[in-house]
Amino acid sequence: MIHFNDVTKVYNGNVKAIENMNFTVEDGELVIMLGPSGCGKTTLLRMVNQLESITDGDIMLNGKSVRHSNKIEMRRNIGYVIQSNGLFPNMNIEDNAMIVPNLLGWDRKKMRDRFNMLMELVGLNPDEYRKRYPHELSGGQQQRVGVARALAADPPVMLMDEPFGALDPIIRTHLQEEFLQIQKELKKTILFVSHDIDEAVKMADKIALLKGGKMMQYAEPARMLNKPSNSFVAEFVGQDRVLKSMSLYTVKDLADALTLKPVLESPDSQNINENLSLRVAISKILNQEADQLIVENDNGTRKGSITLDLIEQFLHREIKESV
Amino acid sequence: MERTNKTIALIIKLIFWALLIAFFVWAFANNMFSKIWEQPDTFLRLLGEHITIVLLSGAAAVLLAVPLGIFVTRPKFRKSEWLIVGIANLGQTIPSLAVLALAMGFLGIGISAAVVALFVYSLLPILQNTIAGLDSVDDNMIDAAKGMGLTNAQILWKIELPNALTSIIAGVRTALVINIGTAALAYLIGAGGLGVWIFTGIRLFDNAFLMSGAVPVTLLAIVIDYLFKWLQFALVPKGLRLARKAKNS
Repeated sequence: MIHFNDVTKVYNGNVKAIENMNFTVEDGELVIMLGPSGCGKTTLLRMVNQLESITDGDIMLNGKSVRHSNKIEMRRNIGYVIQSNGLFPNMNIEDNAMIVPNLLGWDRKKMRDRFNMLMELVGLNPDEYRKRYPHELSGGQQQRVGVARALAADPPVMLMDEPFGALDPIIRTHLQEEFLQIQKELKKTILFVSHDIDEAVKMADKIALLKGGKMMQYAEPARMLNKPSNSFVAEFVGQDRVLKSMSLYTVKDLADALTLKPVLESPDSQNINENLSLRVAISKILNQEADQLIVENDNGTRKGSITLDLIEQFLHREIKESV
Repeated sequence: MERTNKTIALIIKLIFWALLIAFFVWAFANNMFSKIWEQPDTFLRLLGEHITIVLLSGAAAVLLAVPLGIFVTRPKFRKSEWLIVGIANLGQTIPSLAVLALAMGFLGIGISAAVVALFVYSLLPILQNTIAGLDSVDDNMIDAAKGMGLTNAQILWKIELPNALTSIIAGVRTALVINIGTAALAYLIGAGGLGVWIFTGIRLFDNAFLMSGAVPVTLLAIVIDYLFKWLQFALVPKGLRLARKAKNS
C-alpha cells in the first residue's frame, strides 16, 4: 500500500510543485498518474523512492514512512522502470536483469532460476538473450528486460515512469497487454506515470489526474470518463470520453447485463467474439450494411445479436451505476 | 561507397609502409643506426632513463588526475571543476620547455625535475578525458541505478567507471605518447634519456647520433600507442566495445 499523506514539494523556497497530495494506492492495485507535462506526476512518483525529497507531509509505504526509511534498502524493495529503460551497456542481459538480486547476495543457482523464470514471463527466451548486450536488442525487447529487471527481487511495489512511452504504437499496445497479463498473475502494487489517456483507461484500476501539482480527480477509469468532476477533467479525458469508456467493457459484459436480441439472418451482418470490446463492436456496426452483429462465444456458438439500441441501453445503465 | 573508402585507406596504408621501409633500408645502408651497435650499454642506459621518466611521470599523473576527475564530477563538488581544470590547464598551456625549466628551477638538474615537469604536463589530458568520460554516462542510466538501490560507490564502480573507461584510457594514451616525445627534451635539464643522442647529433651534424636517438623514440611512441590500444581492448567491457562497433558500422 502506498499512502500519500499531505505531501507537498516546494522548489527554491517558493515554487510549489506538489500541493497537499492525499491519496492511497491499495495493495495489488495499478494506479496511473495522468496529467499535462509539468503537472508534477513524475516528481510525485520519484518522491516515493526518495529520488526527490519531500518538503512537507509524508508517504507511507506498507505502513513505513519513506522519509525515515533507509533509502538504499527501501529502493531495493521497489521495482523501478523508466521510459528509456536505463539498461547498463557494460553488462549482458542476465547481469542487467539480476542486478538487484546480486546486490542482495543471492546465490548463483537462485539467480539463474529467477532469470529464466522472469524472461519467460516477459516473453523472451532466457538462453537466447542471457549473454547478449542491450544494444543488440530492439526497443521493445529492451523494455521487456527493463520490466524483468524491476521484478527481479520480487518487490511488492513497483514504480513505472512512462515505461512504454518511447515505443512505437504497435509494440506499445503489445507490451501493455502483456504487462496487464503479468499484473493479473503477480498482483503488484503499482504506481504508473503516463500522459496517454487511452493507456490509462486500458490499464489502470484507478486514475489520478493531476494539474499544477494538485489532484483533479482520483477515480476508476469508468467513473472518470462518465462523471468527470470538473471541466478540466472533462477536457483532458476528451470529448469522445463516452466512446473511450466503451473500451472498458466487452460484448460479454453487455450480454450478462441485458438480454441479447434474436439473430436475424442477413448476409450483411458480421460475426464477432463475445470478448471483443464494445468500442470495437460499435465501430463494426457503423462500418457494415446491417444494423446488428452476431455474437459468438469462444466455441463458435451463437448467443444472439447486438444493435446500437442495445449498446445505448447498456451505456445509460452503466453511467447510472458508476455514479 | 564503403568499398572505395576501404580501398583508398588500404592504398594509403601501403604507401605509408613502403615509405617507412624505404627509409629504414636507406638509413641502414648509410650506417645511420651505427651508434646502437657500437655503444649498446649507453643505448640501453639512455633508453632506460627515457622509459623511467615517461612511466614515472605518467603513473603519478594517472594516480592524481583520475581520482581528481572523479572528485569534480561528483554533484557535490561540481563547483570546484573550473578551478581544478584551470590549474591543470595552466600546466598544459606553458610550453613544455618552460615547464622543464621551471621544474629545474625548483628541483635542480636531474631526473626528478624531468619527472615532475612531465607529470604536470600530463595531468590535463588525463583529467579532461576522465571528466568527459564520466559526463558522457547517460543520466537515465544513473537514475535507474539509483532507483534500484545502488549506493553511490556501487554506481561509480559498476556503472560510471566501466562506461567512462574508453575515454579515460584514451586520455592516458595521449598523455604518454606526448610525453615520450617531450622526454627527449629532458636532456636539457640533465635528466638523460634518448635526447642525449638527439641533441648531440644536432650539434655535431652527425646523422648517426641523431637517428640512433630519434628513431627509437618514435618506435617507443608507436609501441606504447599499440600497447594502450590493446589495453583498451582488454579492459573495456565487451558490451561497450560491441556497441561502439555496431554504432560505427
